[in-house]
Amino acid sequence: MKFNTRQLVTLAVFGALWGLVEISLGSVLNALRVPFSGAVLTAIGLVVAMAGRMFVPKSGSTLFIGVIAMVLKLFSIGSVVVGPMVGILAAAVIAELALSGFRRPSRLAFITAGALGILWSLFQPFFTGLLLFGRDVMDIWQGVLREGERVFGLDTQAALLIVLVLALARLLIGAAAGWLAWDVGRRLLSRLNTGVQPAAHA
Amino acid sequence: MAYLEKSHLEAVTKADRQPALGTSGYLSVFACALGLIMLAPPGRMLPAAALCMGAAALLYPASLLRLVQPRWLLALAALVVVNGLFNFQAEGAGRDWLAGWIPLSQSGLLVGLRMALRAATALVAVDGFSGSVSISEVTGLLERFGLRGLGFSVGIAMNLLPSLHRAGTNAGYTLWMRGGLRRRRLENFKLYLVSVLADTLRYAEDIALAAETRAFSPENAPRLPISRGKYDLPAWGMGLGAILILLFL
Repeated sequence: MKFNTRQLVTLAVFGALWGLVEISLGSVLNALRVPFSGAVLTAIGLVVAMAGRMFVPKSGSTLFIGVIAMVLKLFSIGSVVVGPMVGILAAAVIAELALSGFRRPSRLAFITAGALGILWSLFQPFFTGLLLFGRDVMDIWQGVLREGERVFGLDTQAALLIVLVLALARLLIGAAAGWLAWDVGRRLLSRLNTGVQPAAHA
Repeated sequence: MAYLEKSHLEAVTKADRQPALGTSGYLSVFACALGLIMLAPPGRMLPAAALCMGAAALLYPASLLRLVQPRWLLALAALVVVNGLFNFQAEGAGRDWLAGWIPLSQSGLLVGLRMALRAATALVAVDGFSGSVSISEVTGLLERFGLRGLGFSVGIAMNLLPSLHRAGTNAGYTLWMRGGLRRRRLENFKLYLVSVLADTLRYAEDIALAAETRAFSPENAPRLPISRGKYDLPAWGMGLGAILILLFL
């Protein structure tokens, strides 16, 4: 993972924006207990990170942006940081792996990376709850079912349906984030007229 | 001879100035505290948490005091109470109490207590670590794991936060005054993101030029220093030893 000075500065801009979103909007959304707040935050973060990927189309750049955002979140004041830090890093790693699977940046690559990165937020409670807070698997599972009941009005007995709907909702949010990131990145490139051509045409 | 005496004096002075724990030492306390609470079996949760809290009281008492804040006390108490009230399926259920007319699950209370202990220990560990080491030390540590140039980028990111905030606020007000939040919201959100990023990237361009003028290169730049403490190695040994003892003895 080697970047030159200009690339490091560009990555810093995108990392700072993701970090700022997590510090400011993240604290508000978590305090208000908004449904899908984790997924929405990760989606905004990934839009920023993937737009950054268009400026630095090298492997490792998305992960690098995620690590910058994670470090900024670690040193933010007065909030719970363990969950968001794990979320940021996991989403960045998954998006990085997904983007590395494609030969060059494309809208499809961004949509896939966004969808997979945000799908993680469905599994994160099992990871942090189980490992860090010692919550019972059944307890976490019931939390997931209650979320499905609260948001979609589904009966908690229809466990499989709830999980499928929740996963589908996250995949859709992620795909929309990928779509948006591609548009934002291209528009940004053309506005700044940096001389860097978009890596691929939509 | 004089040289030897001088170097000896320098070594002694340096040893005196060396803090008890450096970045690696604090990392060992953080990692081992998380390891202890994650891996400790339910029966050994109390000694594990006591050990972590004891270390926290010695190293970063301010983080321990954060637990006394009403919101944290309330959150931790809620973990215990909710389990006591509703968790009747926990292991050993049946030995229940009646608090007045409210039935309480004894085993649920125990499960809740363990969860609260884990949450409190994790909170103190993260807070203590982030409060004891500086941002440059953390990035220096991450640079040693292959993220070359991270220190430079994090430094820029930290300095960009105010200008990003200002750009975000200005763009948000402009959008609001032009009625951008009433219709074509997605399109306007894209415009908002592009405006904020374009503004900050132009500013970043100046930073990159300044760095290049100073002949900065990530390859030649020295790695960010991390502080070394007198007891870093013993801290690792004690932490890993505690995990092994709690798991296997």
